[in-house]
Amino acid sequence: MVEHEGATGSIIFGLDPLWYAGTLFVLTYIVIMTERINRAIIALLGAGLMVLGGVLTQEAALQGVDFNTLGLLTGMMIIVTVSKRSGIFQFLAIWSAKKVKADPWGILVMMMFVTAVLSAFLDNVTTVLLIAPITLLITDSLKVSAFPYLFAEIMAANIGGAATLIGDPPNIMIGSAVGLGFNDFIFNMAPLAVALLPATMIPIYLIWGRKLTASDENREKIMNYCEADAITDKRLLWQSLAVLFAVMVGFIVAHNIHQQPASIAMFGAAVMLLLSAWPRSTGEQSEDLEKTFAEVEWITIFFFMGLFVLVHGLEATGILQIMANSVLDLTGGDPANTAIAILWVSAIASALVDNIPFVATMIPMIESMEASLGGPEALEPLWWSLAFGACLGGNGSLVGASANLIVAGFAERAGQPIRFLHFMLLAFPLMLVTILCSHVYIYFRYF
Amino acid sequence: MKAKDLMDPNPTTLHPSDTIGKAVECIMDKRYRQIPVVDDEGCFQGVFGVNCLLRMVLPKAVMMDKGLVNVQFINESTSDLHRRLEEHLNDPISKCMHFDKMQLSPDTLLVETLLKIYDTKSSIPVVDPDTQKLLGMVSYWDAGKCILKAEV
Repeated sequence: MVEHEGATGSIIFGLDPLWYAGTLFVLTYIVIMTERINRAIIALLGAGLMVLGGVLTQEAALQGVDFNTLGLLTGMMIIVTVSKRSGIFQFLAIWSAKKVKADPWGILVMMMFVTAVLSAFLDNVTTVLLIAPITLLITDSLKVSAFPYLFAEIMAANIGGAATLIGDPPNIMIGSAVGLGFNDFIFNMAPLAVALLPATMIPIYLIWGRKLTASDENREKIMNYCEADAITDKRLLWQSLAVLFAVMVGFIVAHNIHQQPASIAMFGAAVMLLLSAWPRSTGEQSEDLEKTFAEVEWITIFFFMGLFVLVHGLEATGILQIMANSVLDLTGGDPANTAIAILWVSAIASALVDNIPFVATMIPMIESMEASLGGPEALEPLWWSLAFGACLGGNGSLVGASANLIVAGFAERAGQPIRFLHFMLLAFPLMLVTILCSHVYIYFRYF
Repeated sequence: MKAKDLMDPNPTTLHPSDTIGKAVECIMDKRYRQIPVVDDEGCFQGVFGVNCLLRMVLPKAVMMDKGLVNVQFINESTSDLHRRLEEHLNDPISKCMHFDKMQLSPDTLLVETLLKIYDTKSSIPVVDPDTQKLLGMVSYWDAGKCILKAEV
C-alpha cells in the first residue's frame, strides 16, 4: 500500500508499489555498481521509471530533490573552478615541499596535511585533481615511487573531507537533509578527523617512511622550483582568497542569519564570477563563463538528482520505514547500539560501493527511527555515525570514493598503476582502525 | 583529384620493434613531423612523431591527461630533458607511438584531404581500407605542388 502523500496510487499494470519501487531501486543500484553505464544516466532512468511507473507524481518527485545539496555542490564547484586558475593550489603544494627542504618523508607529511586541509574546504575530487599531478611531478623529480604519496593523499582526502559540512558529499547530504550546519560538523566531526590524520601517518611511516630517500641532486631540483611563478594571476588570487574566506565565514554564521549553505555557496559563486569577469568585454565574459560552467561536474549533479527521486519513491512506499524497524529490532532499539551498527555498516558498505547512493538511502531510513528512539536529539549521534562511516569507509578500497579512482587514474597515466588488491590490503585494515577510533569516539562522546 | 594522386607512394616507415633511438635519428635527420609505422606485412599500425618525443622528454605530470597546466615554476635544463630521453632510447617505439589512426583512403577527395591536413597540421597516411596496407603519405608540400602545377 502506498503510504506517502507524494505517491499517485496508480501503479502501472496494477503492480504492488512496494515491490515495483523496491525492485526498481535494487536493479538501479546493481547497474550503477557494474559501472558499465554512466551512473548519472542510470539514476535518471531509475527516477524516470519511478515517476512513469506511478510511484510518484512529477510534483512529488521534484519535492524529493534536495536543492540545498545541489546548490551547495554547484556553488563550491564554481568557486573552486575560478580560484584554481590563479595557481594558488600549486603554489601551496610547492611551497610546502620546499619548506621541508625537499626531504621525501617531509614532503609526504606536508602533502597529506595540505590534502586534508584542502579536502575539508573543497570537495575531495577537486582536491586530488589539484594535488595528484604536482605529487607526480615531485616524485618524478625525486626519483621515488609515487605510490606511498598517492596512498597517503587518498587517506588524507577522505579524513579531511570528513571534518566539515562541505568536505565530502555524504556530509553535504546529511547536513542538508537534517539541518545540521557548518559549525555542527566542525564541533562533532573535526576533532576526530584532526586526531586521525597524524595517527594515519604512523603506519604509513612504518611501511614506507624509512625507505623514502632521494639524492641531493634530485632534492635540489625541487628546491629550484619557484613557487611564486605558480601564481598566474595575482588579482584573481586575492579575489579567490577573499571570496573563499567570506564563504567560510558565511557558512559559520549561516545558522544565525537564517540562511542555508546553498544560498551562501551560490552567492559566493556569483560574486566570484562577477569579480573574475570585471572589467572584460561582454564577449570575453561569455567565453569565460562558458568554460567555467563546462567545468562544473554535471554528471555528479544529475546523478544526485536521479538518486534523490529514486530514494523519495522508495520512501513513499514505506520500504525504508520497514527497514528502519528491522534495524531497531536488531539493535534492541538502543541508541548506542544503533549508532555503532550504523557506523560499521556504513564503513564496510562505503568501502565496497559508492557512498553517495548508500547515504541517500540511509538518511530517510534514519529519519524514520526518530519516533522509536525518542526525538530528533536522539538521532544526532546516528548522523555522526553515518558521516564517519561513509567518509572514512571510502578509504577501504579503490572504489570506495570517487577521489580514490581519480588518483588511481593519474597513477596509471604516469606509468605507476595502483593495483586494486594491493591498495585494499593496505588500506582496508587502516580504514578499520580509523572506524574503531570513531567507535570509541562516538561511544564516549555521545552515550 | 584524390588522395592517391597527391601522395608520396614511397614514404620513410618505421617498424613497431624499431628503437626510439632509431626513430629519433630519423626524425632529427630528415626533419619529419611524423613517420608512419607498419608491421611486417606493410599494414599501417600508427605514427611516431615529434609529439611522441616531446611526451618522453617532458615530465609525465605535464603531458598526462588532466595534468599540470601552469608549468612556469618548473625550472629544468636541456640536460634534464636529455637524461629523461636517454632512459627510453632502447625501448621499442610501440611503447609510445600514436595508435589513433588518422588516415585517408586513396579515394578521399581533394577538399576532404586538405581539410584533414589542415586539422592535423601534419602529413597523413593513405591506407587501403580493405587490406590496411600503407599506400603513401600526403603532406602539405605534396598538396601544394599539385595545386601550383594545376592550370588556372
